[in-house]
Amino acid sequence: MTISSVRTGIVLLIIAGLASAAGTLILQRPMTGPEKMQRAYSPAMLHWLDTLGLTDVFHAWWFAALLALLGVNIVLASIERFPNVWHYFARPYRRPEAHFLTGLPVQREIPVDDVRTGMDAAERAFRRTGFKPQRIGDGPEASLYVEKHRFARLAAYVVHASLLLIFAGGITDAVWGYRGFVALGMHDETNQIELSSGMRKVLPFTIRCQGAGQENYPDGTPRRWWSKLVVLENGREVKQKEIAVNDPLVFQGVRFFQASYGSTGQVNSLLLTATPRNGSGPAKEFELRPDETVPLDSETSVRLAAFVPDFVLNGNQIESRSDQPNNPAIELTVDSKQAGTSTVWLFPRFPEFSHPEKSPYAFHLRDLQTGYFTGLQVAHEPGQWLVWAGVLLMGVGLAMAFYFVHLRFWVVPVSDGRGRLVLWVGASASKNREELEKRFGRLVEEIEAGLKTDCAACGIGAVAVPERV
Amino acid sequence: MDRTLNHSEGLSHARGNAVVALVSLAVVFLLTNALLTVAKGGSLFTEQNLLYVALVFFGASAAMYLAYAVTGVERYIRAASPAMMAGLMATTLAVGHRWYVAGHPPFSNIYEMLLCFVWTLAALTVWVEWRYRLRLVGTVTMPLAVIGVVLIQLLPSEVHPLVPALQSTWLQIHVTLAMLAYAGCAISFALALMFLIKDGVGTDTFLIWTSALGAAIYGGFMTRLDASGGLRVAAWDPAGAHEIFVAERTPLMVVLPGLGGIFLVVMLAILVPLVLNIAGQRSQNSGLRSWGTRSFFLALLLQVVALLAFLVRAGAGRYPSPQAEGLFSTSLAASPFIVAGLAGSVTASLLCLLLVWRREGLESMLPRAEYLDGLTYKTIGIAFPLLTLMIAAGAYWANRTWGSYWSWDPKETWALITWLIYAGYLHMRITRGWRGRRAAYFAILGFAVVLFTFFGVTYLLPGLHAYA
Repeated sequence: MTISSVRTGIVLLIIAGLASAAGTLILQRPMTGPEKMQRAYSPAMLHWLDTLGLTDVFHAWWFAALLALLGVNIVLASIERFPNVWHYFARPYRRPEAHFLTGLPVQREIPVDDVRTGMDAAERAFRRTGFKPQRIGDGPEASLYVEKHRFARLAAYVVHASLLLIFAGGITDAVWGYRGFVALGMHDETNQIELSSGMRKVLPFTIRCQGAGQENYPDGTPRRWWSKLVVLENGREVKQKEIAVNDPLVFQGVRFFQASYGSTGQVNSLLLTATPRNGSGPAKEFELRPDETVPLDSETSVRLAAFVPDFVLNGNQIESRSDQPNNPAIELTVDSKQAGTSTVWLFPRFPEFSHPEKSPYAFHLRDLQTGYFTGLQVAHEPGQWLVWAGVLLMGVGLAMAFYFVHLRFWVVPVSDGRGRLVLWVGASASKNREELEKRFGRLVEEIEAGLKTDCAACGIGAVAVPERV
Repeated sequence: MDRTLNHSEGLSHARGNAVVALVSLAVVFLLTNALLTVAKGGSLFTEQNLLYVALVFFGASAAMYLAYAVTGVERYIRAASPAMMAGLMATTLAVGHRWYVAGHPPFSNIYEMLLCFVWTLAALTVWVEWRYRLRLVGTVTMPLAVIGVVLIQLLPSEVHPLVPALQSTWLQIHVTLAMLAYAGCAISFALALMFLIKDGVGTDTFLIWTSALGAAIYGGFMTRLDASGGLRVAAWDPAGAHEIFVAERTPLMVVLPGLGGIFLVVMLAILVPLVLNIAGQRSQNSGLRSWGTRSFFLALLLQVVALLAFLVRAGAGRYPSPQAEGLFSTSLAASPFIVAGLAGSVTASLLCLLLVWRREGLESMLPRAEYLDGLTYKTIGIAFPLLTLMIAAGAYWANRTWGSYWSWDPKETWALITWLIYAGYLHMRITRGWRGRRAAYFAILGFAVVLFTFFGVTYLLPGLHAYA
């Protein structure tokens, strides 16, 4: 079992498979937060998993080493076996020798009257079945050689080369590529992105969001997200594009993808009406922003104390289920010189929720504007073209491996054991022996039929030579 | 001598006619019954109706295949193929209907993918039967198709518009290739099983592996065992026909009292024939083996009980939840994978018992072992390039959508593991000349991983592929 043997390759494949499986069964950092990891595993267990690199399998040094070993195995195995295959190209075996004639498993002997009629009949039979025979040598020494799909012998090398290309692309991206995320509010700009490792990266240019939005299906589920992005270099606008899911902006090899769109969970402004409780005067409509105090009359003012976009009570703890304003809750602080300070909760989904007696006004929400952000996935993958080239090459290689067979036929006039003149016909294929035998049978029939029409006198059937394996 | 032979042949023919007539009658009865219901209200060509027709025909076909496997009466199999064709036609119409209604090819959720899987499975079976004159494949694939159609009926079927990430032709290419590849793997699995039967692998080995499969399935259920002996399943909102979520990706669970305990008992009962058969095989003790077979039968009965108990409990009633106050209803539709696991385990055990009873008859019906071996290799030779292209198309799509062609999410990783296993199979076969049993075991392992990738990953290891 050397580093270049198939067995080593298989063992490496199995280990890679097991390691990958472990990477899906064990919770992985940094996708899983540290708290969740601590909840899932005991401290001792977590320590061992971390030490063995099992909590981030796909970025562990030993996993990379495993893939590298697999690459080395493929290269060495290919180098070791290549000379054998190269023979089919450098020195095609056109003229078989005596030991080959006896040893070939698929062969027949067809009696003929003279070499020329026999060879002509064989040649015609080949042409009728779609092959191009070559005549090797002249006169009585002449023989026929037919070959098809010689390139199929290279299939395994093509597949392995394609794997190496994919590896090369993956390594290129692992070393020089990066992936990150950036969330931009309307008209925000930044030149920093948060990498998936948690680090920040500064880009050599600035990206600005000019606008973003969501289009919905009639049932309210999102159909399309879009963002208008502008690239700025040294303060100058150099590129602009409206991106959507599956249609990114590319600048200097860095791609910006529309990944998400949603509410920031922060309120921008509220439109409220305040109705005096004691019936003195009309209802007032006013706009309220965070960190802003709005006077309602000479004695009373109101400000926003808290905003919960998706209100839920967990025990007696107020929490937000999400950042989407699904069930907003608004906490107002009302300062009144007479009645003192009171807290008013507004639940637009539940308007019947009662106000405290203390507040001199009753409030009603007319409109709610929350902030929106567009979530952009940022990726730089200089190696991806190697990967796609590898994928295409692998398609070619697999097609060669499974759907093309290197076929060879030989026809040699010889005298058989009893001194009769016969055409020795033999065939070999790189795979699929059964199919070869069928084709060979048809070819022999074709030659015999050709001989019969050629010379009605030679009505002797073919003699099958028992197979020697 | 001649006369007795003729006589017995005549008898089996007469019996064959009777069974075919009975099954045909059942088909006609079920279809007429359904037609009457349809006539009372609503349209004829709905997806539900088409799938019902497919179910009836696949069921009839599975019954005929099994009857042929048991008795060897030629007439059964001649009835099985047309039934399978009729089922395939109905499935084709259902797929077409779905495509028309949704306005996009039906690959966007697990319901639609399962529909396509069943279609591909039936189509491939018809093709293998026609091309290679290999008629017993349906014995394995038709029960699979029946489970598939039942599962389809349970899954939420409303046409959802596509979320932005799924609006890509590449996704459709990816899923089409996946279904073709997986159906190819299923066929190679059936062929490998047949090879092992023909090659004389002991019936007790089949019993051991079937028990192990059953124990693994019930072991999976044990992750849902509640401290009170109940079974945690997702709650179901009958009005909206969907699960209830308390937070993002956290569905509301309800506890079905007692079921967890029942499942635990069934798992232990499955372990008994497993242990007995392994011990019997080790010690060559025929007494142990016969007890192994008996306990296997008992475990099968218990599994049927567990299946029925689950159907009754989950089908109706309101149950408490550990997450919230009050009682909530659930539905079979909320736990399609539990239903699939229960039904799959029962089916596997039934097929295995068929082998116990009819070993010699089955062997004589199968073609040469080398032929089956070669055919398994050929099927994998078709499935493997499809698997490769499927992974490539998925990577290309992910790259266009998320900017990353490979992110090691569980489904991706398991697809890669499947690919590695079949790559290993091909290397062993081509360069080391592995033939026969070792190759067949490899093919079976490959399909087991395919099943895990398709169901297990979706169910147990959620990731980016959460859409499916």
